[in-house]
This record gives sequence, C-alpha cells and structure tokens, in this order.
Amino acid sequence: MSEQTVAIEEKKKVVKEREPLFSKKNKKLITDPLDENNPITIQVLGICSALAVTVQMKAAVVMSVAVLFVLILANVSVSLIRNLIPNRIRIIVQLVVVAALVIIVDQVLKAYLFDVSKELSVFVGLIITNCIIMGRLEAFALGNKPWPSALDAIGNSLGYGMVLVIVSFFKELFGSGKLFGFEIFGNATEQTGLYAMGYMDNGLMLLPPSSLIIVAVYIWIQKLRNPSLIETH
Amino acid sequence: MAINKDSNTYTISFAIVLVVIVGGLLAMIANGLKPIQDENLMNEKKQNILNCLPGNKAISRDEAGSVFSDFVKQRVILDYNGKIKDNTLLDNSVELNNKNTNDAFSVDLLKEYKTIKDQESRNYPLYICDVKGQTYYVAPVMGKGLWAAVWGFIALDDLGNKISGTVFDHKSETPGLGAEISQDFFEDQFIGKLISNNNDFKSIEVNKPGNPLNDYQVDGISGGTFTSVGVEEMMSRTLVVYHKYIKNLNKS
Amino acid sequence: MDLVNIFIRSAFVDNMIFAFFFGMCSYLAVSKTVKTAFGLGMAVIFVLVVTIPINYLIENYVLKEGALSWLGSEFSDVNLSYLTFIMFIAVIASTVQLVEMIVEKISPALYGALGIFLPLIAVNCAILGGALFMQEKQFATIGQATVYGLGSGVGWFIAVVLIAAIRERIRYANIPGPLRGVGMAFLITGLMGLAFLGFMGFEI
Repeated sequence: MSEQTVAIEEKKKVVKEREPLFSKKNKKLITDPLDENNPITIQVLGICSALAVTVQMKAAVVMSVAVLFVLILANVSVSLIRNLIPNRIRIIVQLVVVAALVIIVDQVLKAYLFDVSKELSVFVGLIITNCIIMGRLEAFALGNKPWPSALDAIGNSLGYGMVLVIVSFFKELFGSGKLFGFEIFGNATEQTGLYAMGYMDNGLMLLPPSSLIIVAVYIWIQKLRNPSLIETH
Repeated sequence: MAINKDSNTYTISFAIVLVVIVGGLLAMIANGLKPIQDENLMNEKKQNILNCLPGNKAISRDEAGSVFSDFVKQRVILDYNGKIKDNTLLDNSVELNNKNTNDAFSVDLLKEYKTIKDQESRNYPLYICDVKGQTYYVAPVMGKGLWAAVWGFIALDDLGNKISGTVFDHKSETPGLGAEISQDFFEDQFIGKLISNNNDFKSIEVNKPGNPLNDYQVDGISGGTFTSVGVEEMMSRTLVVYHKYIKNLNKS
Repeated sequence: MDLVNIFIRSAFVDNMIFAFFFGMCSYLAVSKTVKTAFGLGMAVIFVLVVTIPINYLIENYVLKEGALSWLGSEFSDVNLSYLTFIMFIAVIASTVQLVEMIVEKISPALYGALGIFLPLIAVNCAILGGALFMQEKQFATIGQATVYGLGSGVGWFIAVVLIAAIRERIRYANIPGPLRGVGMAFLITGLMGLAFLGFMGFEI
C-alpha cells in the first residue's frame, strides 16, 4: 500500500466524519433547481408572483432579490428549530415564521429604502403567499441542517429568479421596446429608431396572459433539451 | 430525558413562546421604525406638491421636507362651492400636523373618495404656493384607474386659467401601460393647457394619442385606456371647485 | 346594485387566476380531472366566504389606525397595521382547521368530498390574496366584503373547473412530448386569460 492510497483513505475518512462546505451533494443543491428541478417550470411552485411581476425587468429583479432574502432566512430559521416544532401545528408555525420575516423586511424597507418599498408595495404580500417558500420549508428545511437548507434556499431562489428574468426580458423588450427602462428600439412617441420604419410594440406582451404563454414556451424548450423531464401524460 | 412533542402541553407552550417572541420582535421593530416611516410618507406628499410647481421637478424627497415652507405659503380646505371652510387652519406658521383634521395637509382624499359618495360634502384641500414672486395654486386630485386608485397634484396659475404643472401617481396600474401616467412625458404635456373658457370652467380631455390637439386636450396612454379615462374624470370632477375659488378671489 | 357590481367585478374582471395568477399552484395541481377541480373550487369558495368577513372585522376593529377606539379613547392612537400579514394568515390557517373539524363532525359526506383539499387551502395564495385585496379596497360594509369573497371564490371556481374540463378532453390528444402536462396547462390558461380580457373594465 503506497503512501498515496493511505492519504486518500484518510481523506475519505475525513469526508465521512465532516462534510466539506461545498461537497458535491451540496453543490447539487444549488445547481439542481436551476435546471432539472426548477421551482417554477418543474416543481410548479411560486407561479403567482412569478407571472405578476414580469412586465418589467426591474420589478422582476427586485422581486427575485426579495425572495432570495426571505427564503434564506426562513429556511435557516425553520431548520434551526426543526426539532422543536410540534408536528400538528407545523404549517401554522411555518406561516408565522415567513409572515414575521416578510413584515420585518417590509418595515425596514419602508423606513430606509422608501423608493424600493414603493416599487415593491404590491409584491410584498405576494412573498408570503409565494408557494416556493412554503414548499421549500416543508420539503427541505424541516428535515435538514441549516447549512444545506441555506444552499437549497439560494439554489431555488436563483432558479426562480432566472425564469423571472427571462420572462420579463421578452415581455419588456417586445411589449414596450425597453430593457430596464432603457429604450432599445428607439422612442415610440417620437417615432425614432425602429419605430420610424413602422415597427410597433406588441401591447399584448404587457398583459397577464402573455406571461403564461412565454413560460409554456420556456418549458417546451427546457424539456426538449432534457427529454428525461417529459411527463408521460 | 425525551420531551413528548405530540403532547398538548408541549404544543400549546410552543405556540405561546413562538407568539410572544414573534410578537415582541415585530412590535419592537415596528415602533422603532415608525417615526422614520411617517416622515418618509409626509416627505413624499410634500415632494409631490413641490414637484408640480414650475422649475421644481428636481426637488428630491429628502430636500422636500426642509424647503416645503419656502414655497407653500398657505394651506386651506375648501368646500364644494369653492369657499374656505370655517374651521380651516389658516395660521401657517404652525407645524404640519397629520392628526389635526383642520389642517389641509391631513385630509385623506382616498378615504373621502371611497366613503363619501356625495362629492359636495367632500373636503377640497388647496396649497397656495409662491415661486419667485409668482402665485400658484396646487390642487390635489383623486380618482380610480383600472386596478386601483390614481391621484395627482395640479398646479394652476394665479388667474385660474392655465395648468402650470402636474404630478401623477398610482397604486397599482399595469407597468408599461397605465403606470406611464407618472412619467415626465405624460405629466409635462399638461403644462400650458387651459381649464377656463371666458371665465367658465372647461375640463381637460385626455384623448386617444396621435390626433391633433387643441388647448384643452392632451394625449392619453396607448393601451392604458382606463387609466387615462380615470385621469380625465378626476380632473374634471375636482378642478371645477378650485376654479370657482380662484375666480371668486380674482373678482373681489 | 353595488353588491352586484362587486360580485361581477371580482368574479370576472379581477379574476383571481387570469388577472392576478393567485392560487396558480393548486390550480395546476388539481386541474387534471373535473371532479377534483370541482371539490377544491367549492372549498375555495367556502373558505373565502368565511375568512374574508372575519378578516374584515379584524382589519376594522383591531388592526387599522384608530380601530381599537371602541376599547376607550386612550386606544384611538394605536395602529397595529404592521401585524396585518401575520393576523390574516393566522385567521386563515385556524379557520381552515376549524372548518375541517366542524365539517368532519356535522357532515361526513361533505368531509369526504372536501376533506383532502382543506389543508391545501391554508397555503393557497388566493385566500391570503383575497384578504389583502379586501384590505386595499377598503369596503364600506361587511356585506360588500362578503360579496367580494364570494365573487373571488366563484371566479376561481369557474377558472379551475373550465381548465379541468379542457384538460380532460385533450387527454388523448397528440401533444408534442415536451409540452405534455404543465406546459400545455400554461398554454391553455394563457388562451383562457385572453378570453377573460374581454371583461376588462366591465361594469353594470
């Protein structure tokens, strides 16, 4: 037995005793929700807010950051008290934790970042009702340690944010010819840029139904690339 | 010693502890931040009032608090006939007070719009402002868009004939469509439009965009029909009162 | 007239699903067959009609600024509105629990039909969404609030039953693989949403 194998053996032991912070398993917690276990397109969670805030990219990004923040805190705090929560009232306990966190975020924003809070006003309530948060609490945080729970939260909110940003990109670009509020196709009222050549914004893109159709196309492309995700019926 | 997590005692005591912790934490945070939040809200209203005055668009929310009294010389509450209400607070050296119902600044237009159906018994607050020696009257308006409330502040010139500036805002209109009313391009087209025809009130019309406009018409938002209609409705309903007041003032 | 207007508006114009996407998660989950969709739809109507008036009372007699003045004039300054979210959620969760127990005792048949759906409803965004919209709309009377709850519930019910019927009919249709299931449900909802846009601004 060479020295090398001994070293490897020893390393394995260490791995068994104490999992490194970014083990393969933990990395998967982050990368999985980005594609094959995406919270919106595959788990079908958190759709309400995802579709409601995608008219402008700015709102979509702000919403994703808010969800990231609340989901990490909620996942970690529920994970910390997971052994104390009585099983019978666990849903109410989770709801209370999430609602309390959202209230805190809301209050702090109103006091220190008033403009952001105005931007978010309608969406703050939507964070509580966001099924991603309840879903991840129930499915992951209740049964796992705080660190993996935090990673799971980051992964899922990134996967959520990714879909939001992609959908809002198409809606804002083709709906109002802008991205983050900057005019890409020229100015519609003054008829400059593309508009001078007769191009017109598609107002339908700004209305609620178009988000559903864009998400459907997104699912189509995603499953086309990864046939293992196709549902049988 | 294992605790029985399914026992009633444990469940109830867990619930009580959780409620006490969460409730205490929230009460502490909410009360601690309340003064800052209230100031933000008041400053925003002040900023809106100042922003619709000519040349004041750049005043930020933080500045608005301190320079408000430099511009707003008097604030009064009118009744539907354009007369100053008897109990209105006229002494303007008094600090703005959100709780004093006689202070024009405290009038909650949204609440009155929703609960007082008879528009003749609503309150009509007015801010009399001075910019470089020129008098302007700032009138708040409140109405409804497609989803929820829309509101604005309209600056009128000292003769009550012309609009000198506007600020519009909304609760939750569709971004990119109705929500565009709070953009400069929409607000600025009101500047110079007339609301008076031979001393009679004539309302501003918000038209379908792309048609030729006269002095009483502006372009609406394409795709934001209901919001544009809401803007037109609230202006015609409310400005008539202020028009009466300014005209009476100029007669005497 | 006002009540009819509120009902029509909340059921068709401001439809929970098509205008706000509230309750989409359970909407997609149960819309595979008409029978389950019908059950959950009824349960949503029921819970909305019960919780919205309760939340209305809480909003007006506990949470709103000055709402506590019935306790005495020294309470007229208390503003508990920061507790809105948590109170509404608590009311909804406990009402659902209570309703579940009562229905189980009184009518086992109804419990058999609704039972499995009731726990799902506590986390259905349509319920909390309805409560938050009720607060935002500041209804003048509890009657208006109740009608709003009924209208929203009926709107949700219509949406979920309609899509379930469509999904049942296309079970054997030859849909491209990647679109099967969720993808197709999204597309159908989008097209239905387009149809419901026709109600926009509708008022009696």
